[in-house]
Amino acid sequence: MSDRVSSTVTRPAETLPARHASPALPGLRRWVRPGAVTAVVLVLLVLPFYVTAFWLQTGLFAMAAAIGAIGLNLLSGTTGQLSLGHAFFLACGAYGYVWFAGDSGRVGVQQLSGPGLPPLLALVLAVLLTGIVGGLFSPISGRLRGMYLGVATLALVFIGHHVMLNAKSVTGGFNGRSVTPMEFGGFTLTDGDPDGLEVLGIPFGQLERLWYFALVLVLVAALTAHNLLRGRPGRALGAVRDSEIAASVMGVPVARYRSAAFVVSSMYAGLAGALIAMIFNRVVPDYFGLALSIDYLAMIVIGGLGSVTGAVVGAVFVTMLPQVLSKYADTLPLVVAPGSPDSGVGPGEAARYLYGAAIVLVLLFAPGGLVGLLRGRPGGAPTGRRTVRLGRTKDSIRTGSKG
Amino acid sequence: MTVGPTDSAEVGEFDVPELTVRAVTVRFAGLVALDAVGFTVTPGSIHAVIGPNGAGKSTCFNVLSGVYRADHGTVHLGGHELTRLPPHRIAALGLARTFQNIVLTRGTVADNLLLGRHVLTTSGFAATALHLPRVSREQRRHRERAREIAEFMHLGNVFDAPVGLLPYGMRKRVEMARALCMEPKVLLLDEPVAGMNAEERAETSDAIASIRDSLGISIVLVEHDMGLVMRIADEVTVLDFGRRIASGVPADIQRDPAVIRAYLGTGEESEEESGDEPGKASGKASEENPNAPAHRPDPPVPADTTAPNLHHPDPAATDREVPT
Repeated sequence: MSDRVSSTVTRPAETLPARHASPALPGLRRWVRPGAVTAVVLVLLVLPFYVTAFWLQTGLFAMAAAIGAIGLNLLSGTTGQLSLGHAFFLACGAYGYVWFAGDSGRVGVQQLSGPGLPPLLALVLAVLLTGIVGGLFSPISGRLRGMYLGVATLALVFIGHHVMLNAKSVTGGFNGRSVTPMEFGGFTLTDGDPDGLEVLGIPFGQLERLWYFALVLVLVAALTAHNLLRGRPGRALGAVRDSEIAASVMGVPVARYRSAAFVVSSMYAGLAGALIAMIFNRVVPDYFGLALSIDYLAMIVIGGLGSVTGAVVGAVFVTMLPQVLSKYADTLPLVVAPGSPDSGVGPGEAARYLYGAAIVLVLLFAPGGLVGLLRGRPGGAPTGRRTVRLGRTKDSIRTGSKG
Repeated sequence: MTVGPTDSAEVGEFDVPELTVRAVTVRFAGLVALDAVGFTVTPGSIHAVIGPNGAGKSTCFNVLSGVYRADHGTVHLGGHELTRLPPHRIAALGLARTFQNIVLTRGTVADNLLLGRHVLTTSGFAATALHLPRVSREQRRHRERAREIAEFMHLGNVFDAPVGLLPYGMRKRVEMARALCMEPKVLLLDEPVAGMNAEERAETSDAIASIRDSLGISIVLVEHDMGLVMRIADEVTVLDFGRRIASGVPADIQRDPAVIRAYLGTGEESEEESGDEPGKASGKASEENPNAPAHRPDPPVPADTTAPNLHHPDPAATDREVPT
């Protein structure tokens, strides 16, 4: 390759314009982004010392969701492929981890299987397994585009649910299966072992320990996705979204890249699923329903399609909203605590109404999502296009069939 | 600006193969878009494909780039047969194209140009996600080259600007620069100056000629601007109703009675390389074409205008009604 790279244009001197300095961002603006990221990470690092278990738990779910949303955003936001099957891949990661790390044995009436691998290895294997399952779907994910893929992936959610209920020795069936905690050479991410661990006078239990582990995973996920988007694969995926024909004549094998986006997105989902399992301590099939897939779509639309930061912001918004609403159900009008005899909407439903409204508002007024608003660019991508396109239904290129 | 074929002394380090189109036929549900069309693009030359709207020019481009599959006939680039290959394989063999309407992706000019480097680069998903040193090295090197090409196309000062903010003429040049970024051996330009004003047209035609002269690659050009075609093309193939009706050097084409009848209208084709005032044809429709089907596009008879183009450059205007 390099020999062709170095073949320089032997052009007449007068056609060589003076090299313009790239219109550099003003010095300050260049530091806004890394500065903001550093500040957020610092806040997250000290948070366990200041907030209650409720907020830690909520934050952990938000971090797990952020990883999953980053993955879905690669597929839907960047490549323009709709997926309603994200819950299935989250389940793959969760049950994959539980099975790889779990021991075989009898729990109650249920005979469970599992190789009992070290948890860290189990986590890696769960992510790989989810990627492989996503790859098995590639004959479909490579051929179908946009909306059509969305409909096809719908099937995965239902097949997955059926398998989770019936592969009892792996999943534990309807009642689920308890999760082996993550462990690093004897240091477990639980309330015990080492018992009574304190840091700066604060007891460091499961939530605090998981917090830092999750933070590392989120940073790794965000960084890798950021690199992907800025690099050659990201450009090719964006080209597939914007115009398949242009992508293919630029040398991008469209079907292969569509499948690859699907595989990568599945792997992020697998990681998120495994983390969710660790936070829950127990995985049950009913969690991984269609509603979860929709939640993830809501995250990326609200946060901002095609942007890593957008996925994270959307995940935080969608995950925290029901939790915050139920926490403050007493003081909020119309919202009542779950199971309360008063008339009103439960926090779960209220949250769904709210983020339903948020999606509509975002689609109408800020196609770039919350992140687009933060950047002062409500129009989103600078193509002059005002609409958010999740699934593309037809290629917009005039291929000149009229000749 | 040289008009004749370049001497191959300045040809780049890689050999440009001959592009040979043999008896290519394409049918769309009964409509014959291309009927046994053949031509050969001499390495390092500018080969124009012209013809009235609906003549099959864009179909021809789509067959060459693999977007359409020919029903019969073959296209060879050197020793490779392109007819059965998917578009991305054809691109990897060194054939790049632009589109009649602008097809750019979101992001900056640099992003678009680097997309053009796709087949020349190798970074995969895993290596890019981990941002391995060789990935950043590759990226840096190709970005430099993309910047050179941007400057060559007078896009150096907008290299980091979002393409969506650029004016029309510039976006068209970005498309051409993106195709050049593939370091192609053959460059297909589909109406590169359509919709441009006189100044932009002049700039672009200079750019096309200088691509041929400095890179030594072959250029196949579909264009309605006859002034531009006659000025920079080394050879011209004329299509009408999917059939090749003439082929030769511009001067001969201008005199060819079949071409004049089918395309230019009859008339004194004496105008020279004055550029923007080509076919001052006296209004005479081609009623002598007996087997003209009903969908015949308008004969280009700007009898009472001095329109620079024989045809309306706007792609959307291809269905202009026949003047009576």
